[in-house]
Amino acid sequence: MRFWPRNLSGQMVLLVALALFVAQAINFATFLQDRRQARYDQATGPAVARIVDAVERAKTGRILPSDRDNGRGRVQLLPASPVNPAGEHRSDIETGLRSELHEAGLDAGKIETEVRDFGPGDRRFRRMGQRFADRAARSGGELIIAVEQPGQGWYVLRAPWPRAEAYLVWRLLWQTIVLWVIVLIPVAWAARRIAKPLRTLAAATRDFRPGEAVVPVEEAGPQDVRDVISAFNALALRVTAMLDEKDRMLGAIGHDLRTPLAALRVRIESVDDDDDRNKMADTIDEMNRTLDDILSLARLGRPSEPLTEVDLAALVEAVVDDFLDLGAEVACEESARLRMRLRPSLMRRALRNLIENALKYGSEVEVKLVEAPREVQIMVCDRGPGIPEDRLNDVFEAFTRLESSRNKETGGIGLGLALTRAIVREAGGDVTLANRDGGGLEAVITLPR
Amino acid sequence: MGDTPHILLVDDERSIREPLAQFLTKQGFRVTQAGDAEGARMRLAAYAIDLVILDIMMPGEDGLSLCRHIRGTGEIPVILLTAKTEETDRIVGLEIGADDYVVKPFSPRELAARAKVILRRAAAGGARQHAPASGSFAFAGWVLKSGERALVDREGVSVPLSTGEYNLLHALVTRPRQVLTRDQLLDLTQGREAAAFDRAIDNQVSRLRRKIETDPKNPELIKTVWGGGYTLAAEVTRL
Repeated sequence: MRFWPRNLSGQMVLLVALALFVAQAINFATFLQDRRQARYDQATGPAVARIVDAVERAKTGRILPSDRDNGRGRVQLLPASPVNPAGEHRSDIETGLRSELHEAGLDAGKIETEVRDFGPGDRRFRRMGQRFADRAARSGGELIIAVEQPGQGWYVLRAPWPRAEAYLVWRLLWQTIVLWVIVLIPVAWAARRIAKPLRTLAAATRDFRPGEAVVPVEEAGPQDVRDVISAFNALALRVTAMLDEKDRMLGAIGHDLRTPLAALRVRIESVDDDDDRNKMADTIDEMNRTLDDILSLARLGRPSEPLTEVDLAALVEAVVDDFLDLGAEVACEESARLRMRLRPSLMRRALRNLIENALKYGSEVEVKLVEAPREVQIMVCDRGPGIPEDRLNDVFEAFTRLESSRNKETGGIGLGLALTRAIVREAGGDVTLANRDGGGLEAVITLPR
Repeated sequence: MGDTPHILLVDDERSIREPLAQFLTKQGFRVTQAGDAEGARMRLAAYAIDLVILDIMMPGEDGLSLCRHIRGTGEIPVILLTAKTEETDRIVGLEIGADDYVVKPFSPRELAARAKVILRRAAAGGARQHAPASGSFAFAGWVLKSGERALVDREGVSVPLSTGEYNLLHALVTRPRQVLTRDQLLDLTQGREAAAFDRAIDNQVSRLRRKIETDPKNPELIKTVWGGGYTLAAEVTRL
């Protein structure tokens, strides 16, 4: 529904407005009903008495006024019905009159009624008294009742017929508007009082970054809302405290493992066999890298590195150059400057892991930067065994290692890709793997621009 | 300095300190050990120390504070042993005046090699930069931030450098208008993560030129000096 407001205060206001309107309408319908009944009674009751009276008088030979005086309230005896057949007839009144006249012992012939406009333009006005003219003008119409007495003619009676129904509709609208103003303003105010702290809370929840210092949301609004806000504040504090605790623990683990590792690294220098010693050093390096990965992965939820404007093309090149300087063979085409906002050290790490993987399992490693209007892709392609199609997604899971084609020779756990994916996702992008035609793997980092 | 350089090794971990002292002794250094900052201060006062190797993470007074103390009292070079790899810790260490650092677990051979480089520089007479080799350097519209190891252009966009490029540019920027031979540059830049290759310096220079020169074919900033060397032909302002 397009006009249905989505926010709390809008919905409350609309709901109250609708309810008020419906209540007013019912109220007025009843009122109108009563008024119509009253008008009916007013029109028929006296008319019956007068007509009966006039008929009685006619029997006794008194002359009834014919056309001489056609003021209201008097019964005339006319040779023909003055009722215009095309006018507005009231058959309810006709039936009612007939039965009431019958009860009064008078059997009428035809009974005709007509409602006519009656206003200040009417010539009879001039002959009316002021009070009567005012009443007539207010009612806006007159009811003509013509009762046929066969052989005598038509007994004709005119009664005021209040026509103010249009005026009543306006009154309904006006009253409703006044009510709306009186009721809806406080309702809107109250709804806003509830909704505003809720909106603040929603914004705070959305912006909640576990790493950052918690700024408690101000407790405002009714008590229920205050309770929700204070519960949220407590939750935020607990989450932050837990994450702090996790960081402290990981830091302690890192330190406690690195120290013996460092001691071991120093001690192996006493191994005389160069080959042996180098292998030990490699193992220690590997363990250290894994430790680094674990710590980075665990800390990624609260990155300490700020977002920076960076030339992504230069970043890709720098990572590739680091590999070239180490004697690895990585092809990379130069790309035009590409300005992005990201965390450079983490992104370097993500890309480094992909290239390391490609070098480890494949050859002819190639890095490409592809620019599109809305996104940027960094592709790392290799020629190697690839990954079985059904396992392509598994390798992103931390601690997953493929036993078949891509097995790590030096041991270790598959954290590299998990870390890459976590970094890229933190930056709002994603990383995918696909097997290439002709063998090999293609890893693609996609980043939004 | 006598024939055998005297190293003060400060680390609270005996499991690292003792075998490391043994190793360094074998490498031809005289090594004095201290288990905490207090012991280090005593030994600094008692001996003529040529180089301090200092663990950052120590209970009580930590390595950074002791490093600041050493910097405040004299010219003894300091190598920091750091357990953390977060970039921020590296900056802090270098900003308070450490000459170099190694990250645990480090290769003792590499540590010994760096110690030798630093001692040789110190022996060459005042070659140690009085100002710590850190901070930001502005030249020709560029800013090299040693803290973040980043090069920032006129528009404030960071242009990432490879480790080799960064080290090379840092060496050039801290010695503007000095001619540095390939050997000197190798000496100044090697021993980081990347092993030095024969053509590495030339490669890195040409890559750097591509990044910072307006016309890499006619370099205005990093000029080749006849006879084999490079110089940074720009005013450098320390920020």
